Amino acid sequence: MSFIIDKQTMDDLNIFGKQGKNSVFSIYNHTSTRGGAILLEEMFRYPLDNFESIKKRQDIIQYFYHKRTEFPFEGAVFDAVAYYLHNTDTRTRIDAHDDKLRKRFQRLMKTDTEFQMIHKSILGLIYIINTLHDFFEDIEDDERILPEMPEMEEVKNIISDERLRFVKEERETKKLSLEKAGRYDNELRYASNKEMHKILSFIYQLDIYISLAHVAREKEFSFADVQPSDCNILKIDRLFHPLLADPVANTIEVTPQSNVIFLTGANMAGKSTFMKSFGIAVYLAHLGFPVPAREMTFSVRSGMYTTINLPDNLNQGYSHFYAEVLRLKKIANSINHARNMVVIFDELFRGTNVKDAYDATIAVTEAFAMNKNSIFIISTHIIESADILKERCGNIYFLYLPTTLENGVPRYTYTLSPGITDDRHGMMIIRNEQILDILEKK
Amino acid sequence: MSFTIDKQTQEDLNLLGKFKKNSIINLFNRTCTRKGELLLESMFLLPLTDPDEINKRSRIIQYFQQLHTQFPVPPALYGHVLSYLESSSSSRLGTIAGTISKKIAFLAIGDNGYETVCKGISSLIEMLGIVEEFVKKIEKPDSPYREQIEDIKGLFDKKLSERLKKPMRSHFSFFHTLYYDSLFRYTYRRQLNRLIQVLSEIDVYISVSDVAREKKLSYAAALTREHHSTRIEGLFHPSLTSPVTNSVSIERDKNVIFLTGANMAGKSTFMKSYGIAVYLAHMGFPVPAAQMTFSVLEGMYTSINLPDNLSLGYSHFYAEVLRVKQAAREVGSSKDMLVIFDELFKGTNVKDAFDATVAVTRAFGRWDNCQFIISTHIVEAGEMLRDNSNMQFLYLPTKLDHNRPIYTYRIEQGISGDRHGMMIIRNERIVETIMNKASME
Repeated sequence: MSFIIDKQTMDDLNIFGKQGKNSVFSIYNHTSTRGGAILLEEMFRYPLDNFESIKKRQDIIQYFYHKRTEFPFEGAVFDAVAYYLHNTDTRTRIDAHDDKLRKRFQRLMKTDTEFQMIHKSILGLIYIINTLHDFFEDIEDDERILPEMPEMEEVKNIISDERLRFVKEERETKKLSLEKAGRYDNELRYASNKEMHKILSFIYQLDIYISLAHVAREKEFSFADVQPSDCNILKIDRLFHPLLADPVANTIEVTPQSNVIFLTGANMAGKSTFMKSFGIAVYLAHLGFPVPAREMTFSVRSGMYTTINLPDNLNQGYSHFYAEVLRLKKIANSINHARNMVVIFDELFRGTNVKDAYDATIAVTEAFAMNKNSIFIISTHIIESADILKERCGNIYFLYLPTTLENGVPRYTYTLSPGITDDRHGMMIIRNEQILDILEKK
Repeated sequence: MSFTIDKQTQEDLNLLGKFKKNSIINLFNRTCTRKGELLLESMFLLPLTDPDEINKRSRIIQYFQQLHTQFPVPPALYGHVLSYLESSSSSRLGTIAGTISKKIAFLAIGDNGYETVCKGISSLIEMLGIVEEFVKKIEKPDSPYREQIEDIKGLFDKKLSERLKKPMRSHFSFFHTLYYDSLFRYTYRRQLNRLIQVLSEIDVYISVSDVAREKKLSYAAALTREHHSTRIEGLFHPSLTSPVTNSVSIERDKNVIFLTGANMAGKSTFMKSYGIAVYLAHMGFPVPAAQMTFSVLEGMYTSINLPDNLSLGYSHFYAEVLRVKQAAREVGSSKDMLVIFDELFKGTNVKDAFDATVAVTRAFGRWDNCQFIISTHIVEAGEMLRDNSNMQFLYLPTKLDHNRPIYTYRIEQGISGDRHGMMIIRNERIVETIMNKASME
């Protein structure tokens, strides 16, 4: 089982975003190598749903975070080397006996591009393996212990193998003779091809962890304290939205006694931003990545569904209301089958008339409240439903985002406060645009 | 005075767009010539505001519908003629000199420019013969198209007619070529240009009247703007294959239609049909209805297809507000407008939408020289507006068949009482599913 999530949720939270636009992924995507970037994207797509693997990943990042490690390699070398290792066509193998005069002349004039590429890649691999060797030595000298990384021991064994002894010997070499180039080419590209790939993918991982540690330091993110899933705890201190330039931080704690958050506030007061920040923090925490908050403690959840920007699909003949109902149905099924979900629903039932919205909000929220293992954040403008819900359910946590008026102009604090508000500014905007005045002149 | 319309309105009604499937212009475009197609496009871009002009064009199209004829000139032939005439020179000497130099080029290096000229001349002569026959066929004393036909007949003066009567030869001598060439491209240039213009019109009218016959469209009668009345019977959407028809009228003392109904009940289709009919009527074109009379308006403003921008969140509401403001400006400048708003203020919460819909509908309704159609799913707003005498409450019903919604697409009087929200939730067993596990714990 993996963390349950869907495209709607990923889109709502802007995890990958649209091409070329800022997304949560773009904050973390600072690897030095291209291979690392590909691997990171893969990793980013699949949050984890068990305590051990989250904890393990966190520990590795934290190790580099505290050690302030710099990525020891030059990223550009890897492109050529990766290409070289993938090209296992034996016809491109350097033949040491094929030392014809023409070839020798070509090499002299540096016009034998194929040979030049291979030569460069062999030297690149020698550089990579030697640097990795130094890196391991450096780690062993340190009093901190690097948590076990996958395949680390294996990689260590590979580089200290007798077959690769020449690598150490050629450390300072700038130019290989034809005979040596042929021999090394054969060893690296054919005999030890699999091992070389292993080394590369290990370095890509290093790249990811080190770059994540950098991001954490630069953005002042923190490492969430992960707890086993049966603890049922979620506490975030000074949570903020990582994509905003000047975000306001909020502190929130969800307990089994307050696991349904009933959020009210005017349209621009920051409801969606808060919900998104919350969702993003939960997502990142389950990746084991640093989170945009001062402190976070969470127990592992089985998945998350958000409904913030639900598209209409009018072309398919669905009304907005029906789209909402189908979405709810999907969520309901997941609550039913998974252990504990995080559910975020912005503007529940905006697509129907006031009466139906009122009835449905009560019915659905009440049903949600029965599931004490999961966390729900629901925003709505139907504040009348709050009174009944307060009466019927003890575990609803009423929060609102306040608006203050300064000379008729609304100001927003973006800071959560306990309680309910019926602030609305739709009519004010219409009045500010003087639509009714334009029509009045008669 | 031109008819006020903006891009959003054209897109809402899907009026233009040659490459768009189901656009209204494509529906009418069966023209045989490129020039005809361009003329049709310009008619679509410029609806008329003078009832006399509208009725005149409408009568001409009806006339062609009765004639039930085809565009007389074969397209390939027409193409030769056009490219020949377009290469006209502005002086007789220039024309002759040009042709002579082409002949020399032909003799010297085998250039085919001269052959093109010969081909053009013979094509034109052939076409003139066809047109002469065609005119005889469509000429009637009481025809609304008299004027234009007289123009064409004017071309065939004695001199030209006699020339044309001479037996055609497959090949002209050099001097014949020179003679005809200067005749067509210089002497008769103005008349021939007029002929091409009239032929383009005929192309459009035949194309439109063919569509009218096939789609069972009818012709609307235009009244002066002071009448402030639009009556349509058997209105339907022209792009649908088996549309349901509805009758509707908007008069000065009942100038606001407040339309309710479920989202899939056909509100948008009805609104679009009305908009399209009014637009086509202002072009003098046949309309998708059994019968229609209308007083001319000065413009049209719709807001029907804003749905996909919901992801913009609050800014979507703001965009709606700005759109309403634009409409308010037009209405406030005392123009006679048709304003159509579908699902007004869906970008905001139910309550703001409720307040805003009531306030805006009331404010607009006072302008009784304008027509409004406003739809919403917030039926409560309708109750609030009951006391306004100028409102027509219409709804599109949802019938239930074994808990499955069925839509009739037929307009009825009143406000929809359909509240199927909770029923849909119950049908989908949402609450039960959510509670299922909790009750087991």
